[in-house]
Amino acid sequence: MRILLAEDEKQLSKVLVTALNSRGYSVVPVYDGQEAVEKASQGVYDLMIFDIMMPLLTGIEALKRIRAAGDQTYVIMLTAMSEVDDKVTGLDAGADDYLTKPFSLKELLARLRSLERRTEDYGNDVLNFGDITLDSNEQRLESFNSISLSAKETRLLNLLILNANKEIASDVLIEHIWDNDEDVEQETLWIYISYLRQKLRAVNAHVEIRGEKGGPYQLVKTDKGGL
Amino acid sequence: MEIYGEFKPYLTKIRDDVLGKLNALNQKEIANNKTKLYEHLIGRVKTEESMTEKCQRKGFPLSPQGALYDCKDAIGVRIVCNFIDDVYRAIELLKAADWCTVVKEKDYITHSKPNGYRSYHLILKVATSYPAIAEATPGGYFVEVQLRTIAMDSWASLEHEMKYKHTIENSKQIVKELKRCADQLASCDVQMQTIRQLIHENH
Repeated sequence: MRILLAEDEKQLSKVLVTALNSRGYSVVPVYDGQEAVEKASQGVYDLMIFDIMMPLLTGIEALKRIRAAGDQTYVIMLTAMSEVDDKVTGLDAGADDYLTKPFSLKELLARLRSLERRTEDYGNDVLNFGDITLDSNEQRLESFNSISLSAKETRLLNLLILNANKEIASDVLIEHIWDNDEDVEQETLWIYISYLRQKLRAVNAHVEIRGEKGGPYQLVKTDKGGL
Repeated sequence: MEIYGEFKPYLTKIRDDVLGKLNALNQKEIANNKTKLYEHLIGRVKTEESMTEKCQRKGFPLSPQGALYDCKDAIGVRIVCNFIDDVYRAIELLKAADWCTVVKEKDYITHSKPNGYRSYHLILKVATSYPAIAEATPGGYFVEVQLRTIAMDSWASLEHEMKYKHTIENSKQIVKELKRCADQLASCDVQMQTIRQLIHENH
């Protein structure tokens, strides 16, 4: 994992770099907000850790500029214990998590491990359910056959597999699959459910989506007796 | 080169008869206010050269017995449909037809080949008024029917081109891309079929 660390207290920065290096993380340290924006725009990082109180540009300002440039890298802010507003403005400015100073190294390392688990285990999604395999990166559904899926179909099936056997309301599915700004109606969801149903049939899967138009929908295994 | 022997003149006639019967099935569907059964139809009689090569490869006798009885694809017909549903509709009509019986079927649509090939294969035994070899029932000839969608047909043409023009350097990558393409075409076929069903549900 490659980390961009913006911390103006040289002593703290040195301790963090040493600790992170010893765990096998590679760290690029910078000492003010301006430098953080520059480095972020030039390189690819898996994580950025920003102190809030920094010279030239605060961590919040740096974060806003980085996000405005379209960078979606995971960002952890370092805030002072008492400053609740800092946490709120940090999260609202696009931070993903925060740590209050003084923080323990143990906690920071645990958060990094948690982040790695999420990106490794849940990021390169290959999900199995019954006799189907969904490869979210390749957007491919496999069983006795394989077939391509659209981006939305992939997300929908991904969610259904992660919540298999649960009855899921239409609203919940629409909210998770389509962004808020899209005007999506029941009708659209029904079309995508219909696509997935036919595709499950086309690969001869013993898995089906139950539910009438309007939902709720439920992903279940079916009997193998059909063949 | 006379592997078909005395039966050779009948083969093109039988091919044309079968094409005519399929055309009649299509006309009947249209007369019943249904959509057309297929987009187009082609038929061929395997050349004596390829049939000889096939019989040698399979260890069949180089005679009408091998070419017309052991091998069952001397006469071949391909039915290319617009939609997957039409493929299955055509299969049902062939199974119900009184001029032929289905002796073998292979569904490479729900069980595609590892390279991505999709198609539905039937071997028909067709009753004709022509003499046939002793082992077949009097006048009975085998006809291989391949049914597929336009997308599956285009893919098969592309795969055919690759098979006969393989350059070692890119063939592994091309094979992989062809498979991916087959999955995408299957996706489109299913998408079109679903949209079609949704349209008809609303009427």
